[in-house]
Amino acid sequence: MGPLVVNEIITENANLFLAFLIGIGFGFVLEVNGFSSSRRLAGMFYGYDTTVLKVFFTGAIVAAVGLLFMSLFNWIDLSYIYINPTYLWSSLGGGVIMGAGFILGGYCPGTSVCAASIGKLDAMAFLGGIVIGIFIFIEGFPMWEGFYNAKFLGSPLLSDIFGTSRGLITFLIILVALGMFWVGEWAEKHFARDDYKLNQK
Amino acid sequence: MKARLILAAIIIPLGMIIAAVPENTTKQFRLTANELLEEVKDGTQFLQPDEVADMLIQKDPTLQLIDVRDADQYEKFSLPNSINIPLVDILNPEWKEYINQDVKLNVFYSNGTKNANEAWMITRQLGFENNYVMLGGLNYWVETIMNPEKPASTSPDEEIAKYNFRKGAGAALGGAAVNTQPSTMKKSSKPPISKRKKKKKVQGGC
Repeated sequence: MGPLVVNEIITENANLFLAFLIGIGFGFVLEVNGFSSSRRLAGMFYGYDTTVLKVFFTGAIVAAVGLLFMSLFNWIDLSYIYINPTYLWSSLGGGVIMGAGFILGGYCPGTSVCAASIGKLDAMAFLGGIVIGIFIFIEGFPMWEGFYNAKFLGSPLLSDIFGTSRGLITFLIILVALGMFWVGEWAEKHFARDDYKLNQK
Repeated sequence: MKARLILAAIIIPLGMIIAAVPENTTKQFRLTANELLEEVKDGTQFLQPDEVADMLIQKDPTLQLIDVRDADQYEKFSLPNSINIPLVDILNPEWKEYINQDVKLNVFYSNGTKNANEAWMITRQLGFENNYVMLGGLNYWVETIMNPEKPASTSPDEEIAKYNFRKGAGAALGGAAVNTQPSTMKKSSKPPISKRKKKKKVQGGC
C-alpha cells in the first residue's frame, strides 16, 4: 500500500499537504516540550536537562518499531523509503559544526524556527546566523567540495553491517535508548542547577 | 520517571516481537486481480503506433521496443532497435532486468494486440512497471504508419495532420515496403512532425 505517493494512492500535491500538516505537528511537539527554550536545549550538553535526548530518541524508536510493523503487515514497502546517503567526513564535520552552534546558540535549526515564531529575539538572531552560514557554505563551496563529497558510503544500514535482521537491531537500539534515558535522568539529578527548574512552565 | 516505565513497558515487548518475527522480504508490490481489472478497463497500458513512431524518430533513449513474437518472425521483420523476448519465454530470469526496471519505457508488440497484451498482463501482475503495449501491433503499424490511407479532403484538420505525420514517419522508418533489415534506422530526412501530444507519463518511481 505505502508509500502513498509512490504507489499513486495520493497525488504529489496531497503529499505536500500531508507534509505540511506533519510539519505543523512537529513544530507543535517541539513547542509543547519546551524546545523553544534555549536553556532547555543547552541543558542537554551540561546534563541538567535531558528532555531533548528523551523526546528525540522516543520519536526514533517509536517510528522504527512502527515502520517495521507496517512492513510486516504489508502496509508499506520499505525498499521505497528514502534513506539519506552517508558522506562520512562531511557528516562528521557537519555534526561538529552543528553541535558547536547548538551549545553556543542554544538552538538547533528546527527549534530556532519554533522559538522565533513565538517571538524570541535570540532565536531570530540564530536564524540570521543560519542564513549567513548557508551563504558562506554556498559561496565557498568549491573550497570544501572535495571534503563534502569524500568517503561516500551509499545508504548503509546497521543491520547490513552487522548482518542481522532489522528487527533485532531495532530491539537493541530500544534497549540502548532506554538505558540512555536512565542515565539522562540520573544526570538531571546530579547536575541539577539551583536557578533551573525542570519542566518549568 | 513514570512515563519512562510506561514507554518501556510498551516498547520493549513490541521490540521483542519485531526482533523475533522474520523480516518481510516481499519487495515487489503485486497487483490484486481487482486492481489489474481496473487497469485493463482503463486501457492505460496502450500506446498508439503514432506515439511509438514519434519516439522512434526522435530517437527517444527511454524507448525500449520488445518483440514478443517467436524468433523466426522477429528475424523476418521487426521494428528498429527492438529486442526479442518470445512470450513463452517471458518469465525466464534472463529477461528480468529488461522487464522489471524503472529507467526505460518498454513497449511490447506482436502481430496483433493479443500476445503483447498478454505479456503486459503477466508482467503487470508481477508488479513490474513501465511496460506498455503497442495498440494493434505490427498489423496496425503497417496499415497506419507504413501505408497510411489518405483521408478525404473534407476530413478535419486533425485527420490530415495525422496523415501527414504518418506519411513522414513511414518514410523515415522504412517506407511503404516492409523493411526486412531491422535495427538499422534509415537516416532519411526527418518527417514534418506536427507536434503530437506528449508521451504517456511514466507511472510510479520516486
